[in-house]
Amino acid sequence: MEKNKFPKKPELKISIPAKTDLLKMVVDLTKHMATINEFGKKDAQKIALAVDEAITNIIKHSYNYDENHDIKMEFYTSKNENKKGLKIRLIFAGEPPVFKNTAINLNKLIKNKKKGGIGVEIMKRIMDTVEYSSVKDKNYCEMTKWTDL
Amino acid sequence: MNFSVKVKVVSDIAMLYPKGHLDAHSVEHFEAEILKLIENKSINIIVNCTDLNYISSAGMGIIMGYLDEIQEKGGDIKLCSVNERVYDIFDLVGFTEIYDFLKDEQEAVDKFNNGKE
Repeated sequence: MEKNKFPKKPELKISIPAKTDLLKMVVDLTKHMATINEFGKKDAQKIALAVDEAITNIIKHSYNYDENHDIKMEFYTSKNENKKGLKIRLIFAGEPPVFKNTAINLNKLIKNKKKGGIGVEIMKRIMDTVEYSSVKDKNYCEMTKWTDL
Repeated sequence: MNFSVKVKVVSDIAMLYPKGHLDAHSVEHFEAEILKLIENKSINIIVNCTDLNYISSAGMGIIMGYLDEIQEKGGDIKLCSVNERVYDIFDLVGFTEIYDFLKDEQEAVDKFNNGKE
């Protein structure tokens, strides 16, 4: 495997309905995928949280809680002499997400009585890369995490 | 549902005991209990996280979204008995610098009572 690259074929791909009651399953599955690929327990839990946040954003903002939509999840793993990596790719339709690159101001969010606005920040702080893209009517969210062997 | 929340009010302090997995699915239940406390003017709130295994931004958002209103009314939200895993999540976005995280419920009660002196 080339340095810090992922294979073209995912290790696992599943499609789930856009329902919040499946979030715990998503968290458990992601933790499992990270753990069997030798990520430590703490890292695995954090990666699972990042995926929870991404899926929640899709359900909320792209699908507006319409449970008739699906989200495809693909897990890619990689290992070289120094590092191991996990990539999670989410494929979904609906409204393309608005991805802000500005850091959050927690005090301002509290003052403005905001109940949201920290999910993407959590994803960015946990993962090495978080990228959103849209091609035609499909949206993609790709997150990667590498750790030393 | 992998989440439940119990409420106990002693004198003018309300204790919330969230248990399990607090995410965008279970958050409605948690928010409803916070709203009930605000309506009943129980605004000195301790969230005892002993049995909280997981929290996502949806759960943190509720604590964040009502803090200002509660403080404007003279109350506060304090968190106690947070396990390392959940504390790490709060710490990720800086909650630990803004909220009081106390060792246990007694310490949180004392902090409220000392604030009245």
